[in-house]
This record gives sequence, C-alpha cells and structure tokens, in this order.
Amino acid sequence: MNSRFRITRWHVMGWIFLATLLFFAVAPMVWMLITSFKSQFAALKYPPELIPQNPNLEQYERLLSPKNDVGRQFLRYMLNSIWVSTATTVFGVAVAVPAAYAFARFRFPGRKALFFSVLFRNMFPAVVFLMPLFIMMRWMGLVNTYTSLIITYLTFGLPLSIWLLKGFYDNIPVELEQAARIDGCTRFQAFYMVVMPLSAPGIIATAIYSFITAWNEYVYALTFLNDDEKLTLPVGLQRFFAEYATNWPGLMAASFIMSVPVVVMFLILQKYFVRALTEGAVKA
Amino acid sequence: MFAIVAARPRRALAKMGALLASSAMILSGPVAAQSIDPEKWTPDYVRSIAGKTTVDTAAECAKAVPLDYEGQVDYWYVGPNEANPELEHKMYADFWAAWEETYPNIEVNAQNLGYNDMLNKLRTAALGNAAPDVARLPILWGSEFAAKGQLSELKPEDVGYDSANFWPGAMKSVSLNGKTWGIPTNNETMAFIWNAGIFEEAGLDPEKAPDTWAEVVEYSKQIKEKTGKAGYGLVARVNAGNTPFRFMPMVWGEGGGALDEASESPTYQDVWIGKEGTVRAVQNYYDMYVRDKSVPVSALTNTQTENQDPFLANQLAMVIAHPSEYATMLDRANKATGSDKEAAMAVVNNMRYGKIPAGQDRRAVVFGGSNVHIFNPDNVEGDLDMEAAKALVCFMTGPEWSTKLAWVSSNPGNTRGFETEWMKERLDTIKFLDVSTSMLPSGIPFPPVAESPEIMNIIIPEMLQNALTEKMTVEEAVADAEKKVKALLDGM
Repeated sequence: MNSRFRITRWHVMGWIFLATLLFFAVAPMVWMLITSFKSQFAALKYPPELIPQNPNLEQYERLLSPKNDVGRQFLRYMLNSIWVSTATTVFGVAVAVPAAYAFARFRFPGRKALFFSVLFRNMFPAVVFLMPLFIMMRWMGLVNTYTSLIITYLTFGLPLSIWLLKGFYDNIPVELEQAARIDGCTRFQAFYMVVMPLSAPGIIATAIYSFITAWNEYVYALTFLNDDEKLTLPVGLQRFFAEYATNWPGLMAASFIMSVPVVVMFLILQKYFVRALTEGAVKA
Repeated sequence: MFAIVAARPRRALAKMGALLASSAMILSGPVAAQSIDPEKWTPDYVRSIAGKTTVDTAAECAKAVPLDYEGQVDYWYVGPNEANPELEHKMYADFWAAWEETYPNIEVNAQNLGYNDMLNKLRTAALGNAAPDVARLPILWGSEFAAKGQLSELKPEDVGYDSANFWPGAMKSVSLNGKTWGIPTNNETMAFIWNAGIFEEAGLDPEKAPDTWAEVVEYSKQIKEKTGKAGYGLVARVNAGNTPFRFMPMVWGEGGGALDEASESPTYQDVWIGKEGTVRAVQNYYDMYVRDKSVPVSALTNTQTENQDPFLANQLAMVIAHPSEYATMLDRANKATGSDKEAAMAVVNNMRYGKIPAGQDRRAVVFGGSNVHIFNPDNVEGDLDMEAAKALVCFMTGPEWSTKLAWVSSNPGNTRGFETEWMKERLDTIKFLDVSTSMLPSGIPFPPVAESPEIMNIIIPEMLQNALTEKMTVEEAVADAEKKVKALLDGM
C-alpha cells in the first residue's frame, strides 16, 4: 500500500457515512424499479419480495404501447411534458442570459433594488399565486393552454436562473470583453463570441434547472389544464391513485419512465451543473 | 378543502354556519316529501324487488330534454382510472356510448379527475368563474359550493324524476336554505370486513363478525396476542376523511355525535360531542391503541389506503372499508400470475363482509355517495347551456345509469334502480353486495353545515390524537373537542 495513504478509522467512518447516504439515495429508486416488475397483488405481499418471484413487464408494455388507451394517454402526457419543459427552458434561458449579463456588467439606477426584487417572488410559496394567476390567465384566455404553464414556469424559474447566471458572469474577467472590443467587436459580439462560450456551463446548468422545475411541476398543471389530451406527466401520475386503491406497480413503472429523461440529461450534463454551482451561484 | 375552510375568517365562517344551520332546519321542502321507509330495505326486500321493472332511459329523458337537442356541456367527475377494476372502465365506456346514441347532438367535454385532485381544482375554477357546467361530487363537497352561491338550483323534478325516489339522507346532502342544489347519483355505506383466516388462527369463529364495538376491542386484542398480527385497522389521521368515516359510526353507535346529526330530527345546532357516548367511543380507541397495542402502530398517521395494503397482505384482520374492496381485490387476484395468483385467491376467499358493529345505543354508519350539480351561470366558463346540462344529469341519475355507474362500488341514488334487471344482475354476481345495501337504513349523513369539514376532519381527529398520545385523558380530550366545536359554532 502507498505509504502516503494510510486507512484511518476516519476514512472508514467516512466511507460508512457515504455508503449510508448512498443507500438512502439509491434504495428508493431500486425499490421503485423492483415494484414496477410485480403484479398488483405481489406489490402488497408481506414480507415483501426483494426479488420478484413472478416478474413481468406488463406495466411497461401498457405504458409504452400506443396500441392501447393507457399507453396512448401516457405517451401523450410525456410528449406534453417534453414540449412544456423544453419551451420553458428555451424561453427561460433566452431571457435569463441577457438579464443576468445586464445585472453583472451594467451600472444603472435602481440596479440593486431591481436585482433583489427579482428574488422577491421566491419568498412566497408558489401556491399563493395560484388564484391570481388563474384569474389572469382566464382573463387573457389562456386557461387550458400550454402557454399559461410556460408563462407561469418562467415566472417562477427566472429569478433563480438570473441569480445563477449572474454569479457566473461575475467570474468572467471583464478584461476579456475589453480586449475583444479593442479587436473590433461590438458589445453584442463580445458578449456573443467571448462571454457566452465561457459561460456555457452556467447556461447549461440554468437550462437543466429550468427543465427539471417545469418537468416536475404539478399544482399549476392540474389547475390550468382542463383537457385530458393536454395534461402533463405529474398530473397523469395521479391516474394511478383512486379513492380507495392505488396501482403501485403501474405508478412505479410510470415514475421510473418519467425519471429516465431527466436522469439521462443530468448524467450527461452533471459536470457542468456542479461546476456552475461551485463557480457561480455562491458568488453573487 | 379543509385547510381553506379552517383558514377562513371565523366571522365569515360563523355567518355561513348560521346560514347553513338555519337552512338545515328548513330542509322541509324536498326532504319532507320522502316516502322511502328505510326500515323495509332489508337484503331480502332488496332481492325481492330486483328485476321487476324495465326502464327506457331515452324515453324518460326525452320528457325533460328533447333527444334531438343540440348543445354543449362541460362535465367534471371522478371516474375510473388505473387503480380501479376493469369492470368500472367498461361501465363508463358503455355509459358514454349510450349517451352519444341517445343525445347525438350534445357534445360533452368530460374531464375525469382523480379523487385527490378534483376539489381544489374545482374551487379555483369556480372562484375564477371557470367552473364546468356540470360536476359530480362526493356527497360532502356540494354544500360548500351551494353555500358560496356557486351552484344552480337543481332537483330531481327538474329532470323528470321524483324526489321521493331518492334516499332522505342523500336529499339532505343536496339541500340548503330550503332549496335543492343537486341530485344524488349513487349512495352507499361502509361495511365491516374481516379476514376469516386470521380469525381462525386467533381461535375466533371465522364466520362470525364482532357484533358490537366492545367485541371489536376484544377480538383485536385476542388476534394480536395469538397471531402477532394487527387486529383492527384503526385510523386517526388529522385532516383525512377516512378518520371520521370510520370513527363516527362508533360514536353514533355508543350514543354520541358531533352535532345532533344522529337524532331523529336534527337541527345541527346542538353539540353532542361531549356526550358519554363519545367518551365511550374514544375509550374504545384508547384501549386498542394504548392499552392493548392491538392495532397498527402507525394508526395516528394512517388512512384506509395504509390499512388496505396490510389487509390484503394478510397482516391485518379487521377493517371498515368500502363495498368496492372485494371487487378491487378480486380484480388484483385475477391479474396476478404464477404462485401469486394462488396466494391472492386465498386472501379473496378469506374476505368476509358484515354489518358495522353496534354500540350500546344503536347500529350506525356514515351515509356516503355522490351528487351531481349544475353550476351557477355566473361561475362557469362561457355560457351555461342549461338544457344540455339537464339532459346529461337526467341521463346519469335515471334508474339505469345510476345503477350501472355504481356497479362495483356503490348503489343507485335513484331507488328505482333497485327494481331493474341490472340490479338483479349485480346482486347475483357481486358478492357481499347485500351487506352494504342492508346498512343503508342505518346510514347517517354528516351534518350539511359549513363547519362540518373542520369538525369532522380537524377537531375530531385531534381529539383522538390527544387521547391516543396521552397528551390528555379520554375525558379531557372529549371536553376539549366540545369546547372547540362550540367555539367554532359561536364564530370564535
């Protein structure tokens, strides 16, 4: 063993601690997956089956097959969620990037007040705004449209996105832009060609944050949408709960499928996300 | 639902409460017209009348709204979803097919909402004047919308039926200010369900349910001692409808109440919660949870959903549950594969249904079900097409569809449904159905007053929690609850 690395009891305790954390993080996911392979009866058996005795893919086949009503509906919900989350992400980033840049680089009257007022909304629970927003959406004729959800999610997501990105821009030396300007770039070109590439990790992190927020949102989607065809996945998951019963395997399978796009996206982009959190968000 | 009511300023609540309480006294109109004698509705009577009548729904509804009427209606309801038996899905599909055939020119924008989703969504929509034209709601929900002036007047006669053909308890739930605000679609009572296998293991007669609440306490103790399994599925969660639905039958049975809902002529102004009967009921809970430890440890946070799973897993012997429990379990057993199927069928075969046990005073059960309502034109999105709305209401509250839509889980709200061939088919094919129908005469509806949700879902569960956690003695907990109910009614 390397003489410079000795395993001490602190190391062991640290590993135990990390293993415990890992267990609590992973075990629910594993249990969700195992349950999704069981029949409804087997899901309730006691003692529980750690390994399903009669595993089946029935729930996945139902949910992912456009040949049956359940599958068609579930896939429709998934497409709806992808559309709403993607649109929210694109618009959110498009607004947050210049807004954060402006807060980071420009000095204008009321800048600080405006910057903190951006966060003011986040001081209240989202549900407080449900009724006023619903009335506003109805007044604008937007109830039962995806636009109402996208606007709402932007309202909630933008403040933190702007804060996240501003911290990132603060870390990019202004001299780089000045050098670009000396080389003949306009301010926009300096922003577009120098600052944006450098802030790509922050933009990606912001995009992931916006996407996940919109992907998981439930209360507003439930309230604003009245058409079965337009519902999003979090609302659709409620279809597995009845007044007196729950279809646990179906719910677990649907939850697992719902988590896949986010997990895959997060795994691919997580290094940017972590970098953005450490480089930007803590340095407002 | 309840959080909003609880948060409402007391004065406004008191005003609404007074309005509702006084109105409850003026229920005379529709309710007095009832001609149903609940006492004759024994299982034998139910069987004797089934299949004696044929019904032509289209012809009946044509008298209310012409079949060629052209219109549109938005309709919200709690329908079957992925957790419900296949049979319910089929019935609803049949309903919509029959509707389209009967009223081909009325377009229905139907939204099937989850039970947990619907109330708050509807509240927001109604406040924002975007409610649907028609909504079918669980029995307790409608009074809130009626009290807020968000419903249109609607009685069975408006769609060609007779109020006398609906259960008196159900008509009470749609009555306010001497007016009627909806029509019952289906009604049911809970039943006492036990696992005969666990009874046998514990040395009890597997075919005999406890007849009194005192026996439930004894059985629960014996089961725990002999088998190590939980005896009775006690639930005492705060702000969950399951708690009063299971506790109030015991309170009424022992001679207590919340208000005077269990009296012959309730005024909903007398507070009964401090009665000796309530003390006895809380003492029963205390004995099972604290003294004998014979119920699930998690009872303080349990709802029936948390009980259903251990019951079906053969780990809990007795529960109060919905009539649909058997059908749900049978559906699961049919879908199980391999060795699971055998185990599932064993549980199904061990299920037994009985009447809710009696207390020292009487046998009682909560009268449940659903009602259909038409919203106030001011509160709906766009223009309310009243004729189209009435056509839909007529169609679903007639003898045929009030029977078919309640196939697995309930009973027809329109009692003419009991006379149909479909009811006969239900009785012949659905096990234990006659048990729940025979409990209907013992059904007591919750007080149709605005304070009801806070009393039933907050004050009563908190009373139980105070006693079961030994924060207070049983008597202190009951006295504390009485004080709170009186303060609530006084608008404090």
